[in-house]
Amino acid sequence: MSSNRGTKLALLGRTFRRVFSFFFFLGRRSRKTKVFYVMSGLPVAMAAVIKINQMTAGTGRDVVNSVFVDILMMFYLQFLIIILALFYGTSICSEEIEGRTLHYLTTRPLMKSGIILGKYGAYSLLLSLMVLPSLFCSYFVLNAGRLDRAAVYLAFLRYAGVMVLGILGYLAFFAFLGTALRRPILIGLAFGFGWETVLQYFPGSTQRFSVVHYLKSLLPRYSPGRFSLLTFRLEPTDPLISVIMVLLISAAFIGLACLAFSLKEYISAD
Amino acid sequence: MTAVIQTVRLSKWYGNVLGLNNVSLEIEPGITGLLGPNGAGKSTFMKLLTGQLKPNIGEVLIWGKPVWNHCRHLSKIGFCSEQDAFYEEISGWEFLTGLLSLQGFTPAAAGARAEEALAIVELAQDKDRKIRGYSRGMRQRIKFAQAIAHDPDLLVLDEPLSGLDPLGKRKIIRLIKDYKMRGKTVLVSSHVLPEIEAMTSDIILIHQGRILAKGDIHYIRDLIESHPHVISIKCGNVRGLAAEFVRAGFVRKLDFGPDDDTLTVETHDRDAFFGRLPAVLLENGIQVEEISSPDDNLQAVFDYLVGK
Repeated sequence: MSSNRGTKLALLGRTFRRVFSFFFFLGRRSRKTKVFYVMSGLPVAMAAVIKINQMTAGTGRDVVNSVFVDILMMFYLQFLIIILALFYGTSICSEEIEGRTLHYLTTRPLMKSGIILGKYGAYSLLLSLMVLPSLFCSYFVLNAGRLDRAAVYLAFLRYAGVMVLGILGYLAFFAFLGTALRRPILIGLAFGFGWETVLQYFPGSTQRFSVVHYLKSLLPRYSPGRFSLLTFRLEPTDPLISVIMVLLISAAFIGLACLAFSLKEYISAD
Repeated sequence: MTAVIQTVRLSKWYGNVLGLNNVSLEIEPGITGLLGPNGAGKSTFMKLLTGQLKPNIGEVLIWGKPVWNHCRHLSKIGFCSEQDAFYEEISGWEFLTGLLSLQGFTPAAAGARAEEALAIVELAQDKDRKIRGYSRGMRQRIKFAQAIAHDPDLLVLDEPLSGLDPLGKRKIIRLIKDYKMRGKTVLVSSHVLPEIEAMTSDIILIHQGRILAKGDIHYIRDLIESHPHVISIKCGNVRGLAAEFVRAGFVRKLDFGPDDDTLTVETHDRDAFFGRLPAVLLENGIQVEEISSPDDNLQAVFDYLVGK
């Protein structure tokens, strides 16, 4: 029994590795990636405009982090990551069905759950490579002149971690939608820009039913100033619990996606 | 001889539509042709064999083992889909090496095998072009190459000749025959009888999800010979032509088109009719615009077989 489980795990590992490398390669080549790569540069432009504005208006340096959290991180977490995760997550399964290329995967010695995990891993890395350089640039544009402080770099690592967690969580959820539903984009949009946004305005524990709540709980909090945006009702969860929750959400939804993909038949229109 | 493929009471339906109905058969090494009109259930059968679909009833065994959700058995199977679908953004070389890496080959081994497969399908010179820019024939050949690149023992080919020009068809037929010569098993589907006939004499007749017959192609030929043929001739003097054939014993029925420019002949001896036709046309100086056989297709034969 245990040797059978071991063999299955080994096969799962092999499948993950093969699918990961193939789809990381394919993902880098796709037109969609090029378009989204350009789009992910938007926050850098926003940061540059804010920085120029600060310099010309003579705004103090203390507001730099507040600006970054309130405006740029909100743009990343509530728009860019959701859009990227929606299109890449749902496409994990649906691009194969709509492109009628699924048989290239399912007629090879690959475990079905490994196919989903491999593509999830490849797209997580791809999205991280899209978002993190942009985050790096926008953060350091805003913090130009403070680069001698270690705290600046530590804060960046924190933001980068939140971003990666956001990618993992949303990508897993949208991957599940893509494997379970025939038309996942509309529901994904409703979730990403409806549920996730509206729930933040609910007081008490209701907002804990959104992914973004845990991500925001990991961000440093600054006193609400004129840059305060969509955060005033946040009732944060403990950072450690937030990390665990996002990882659990990711594991649960990617597990469900693997299960759905293993059990379902995907019949493409001939 | 041991059966490579065995299906037991295999049935598959899509909602209310029956795809395959109670199919029990065994397929042995060599080339086997799966012959049937469009929508007969050929693709469903092949998808069940390659583990893409799960049977509703019955089972599929390849080398005695089930395939649905048993992916390890798929390493020795090559599948060429009828669908013209690819990862378009990459080159033919990248497509093959990528799929070989999914199969488990190291980069070096995948490169060597891809090189070999590209040479076999005569695409070595175009290997660095993006698949998006390939012609229909090239796409069909690269699809064939991905099916054979890992040297499978069982090759399942769904309409591999569709959309190819005669030269392209001849190349693929030669490749399939070469594959058989290496002791492999090939199951190839088509709705065109002469295509199957050019590859093998072992056929399975499938229609409306049921297996009508399995055996030698001469059986089908005999059925076709005994089936009345309808031949339509568009010419300037249809009544003169009809007068020449009205006394011929092999003609069963003559019919004139609405504009009196087409003669439809029903015969039970197609060879005798076409043997006589050129002489009649020459003797009477009749100019022919078009000759067609409205029912010279597999659908007509199947309709005949199932008694429609």
